[in-house]
Amino acid sequence: MLLVCIAPAWAASPKFRSGVLDPPRPAPDIVLRAHDGTDFRLSRYRGDVVAIAFGYTFCPDVCPTTLAELAQVRARLGPVAKRLRVVFVTVDPERDSPERLRVYTQAFDRTFIGLTGSPEQLAAVQKSYGVVAKKQAVPGTAAAYLVDHSAFVYVVDAEGRLRLMVPFGTSMVDMTHDISLLLGR
Amino acid sequence: MRMIMLIGLILGIVGGSAQPAMPQGAKSAISLENAWARRAPAMAPGAPGGHGAMAGGDGGNGAVYVTIVNRGTSADALVSATTDAAKTVELHETVQEGGVMKMRPLRRFEVPGGGRLEMKPGGHHIMLMGLTRDLKPGDTVSVTLTFDQGGRMTLAAPVR
Repeated sequence: MLLVCIAPAWAASPKFRSGVLDPPRPAPDIVLRAHDGTDFRLSRYRGDVVAIAFGYTFCPDVCPTTLAELAQVRARLGPVAKRLRVVFVTVDPERDSPERLRVYTQAFDRTFIGLTGSPEQLAAVQKSYGVVAKKQAVPGTAAAYLVDHSAFVYVVDAEGRLRLMVPFGTSMVDMTHDISLLLGR
Repeated sequence: MRMIMLIGLILGIVGGSAQPAMPQGAKSAISLENAWARRAPAMAPGAPGGHGAMAGGDGGNGAVYVTIVNRGTSADALVSATTDAAKTVELHETVQEGGVMKMRPLRRFEVPGGGRLEMKPGGHHIMLMGLTRDLKPGDTVSVTLTFDQGGRMTLAAPVR
């Protein structure tokens, strides 16, 4: 359903280059457990820009690509990067313990926060963001199961509004450009 | 590279491997370009048995990407890969359907004669399952590829 809301960048705002949500809407709150055991609440991060990625630590291709790109975006932003928070919400709570999420996210950037919760809490977050995640038993692999999932990065601005849905494959230059606009540079 | 191929040749002969050891040598129609590996944590440091702090059992996974160029006239295919950096190696493809990314194993990566197969994030990749060590930027991962026609080749993939 969210897809309907994405307008091409040139139609919604001439400034943004990736998937713009127009009009912006309040970002659904996310209340989950951070990888260090503390409570995470998205609405506490007003004043910061928050990039939200969904994935799982068993994933070797799409999820690490997204996290590596976000780490590079932070590196390119320079000092203002301290106002960009990156959170990684698991779609695989069965396997993703807080410790696995910690090791996985920290391999990319020390500031990244892995989030987990009960299957019910995570399903509610997925639903509120329009994320699709489906566990699949796949023949022909040693993996017990894989998780098919949508791979947008959701970006929330300093006022807590959901502004961007960045598709997988968006160039680093465009992603950095859009996030720095939200950071007010 | 020549040294690695030579070692492979020797090991193949001495080990009495069932696989023909590098029959192609200098006249192989297959060449490899732009190999690299994504950084990835092994997840269970110092615990090769998989025990320890990591609940969930599985070790970390990684991905290696390389472009296979086939300068020959007939098709060939990558059929398997091995590395000492992981317990299991599989050939996988990520496909995108309606905004959903799906990762699926493939039995082989076909490379048409005169063609190429470019592995890349969100597409074909060599999946390393159960990493035996962290893959950190600056490290190199050695992966041996076995082709249906072209024998074996070993690549060195820098981690980034």
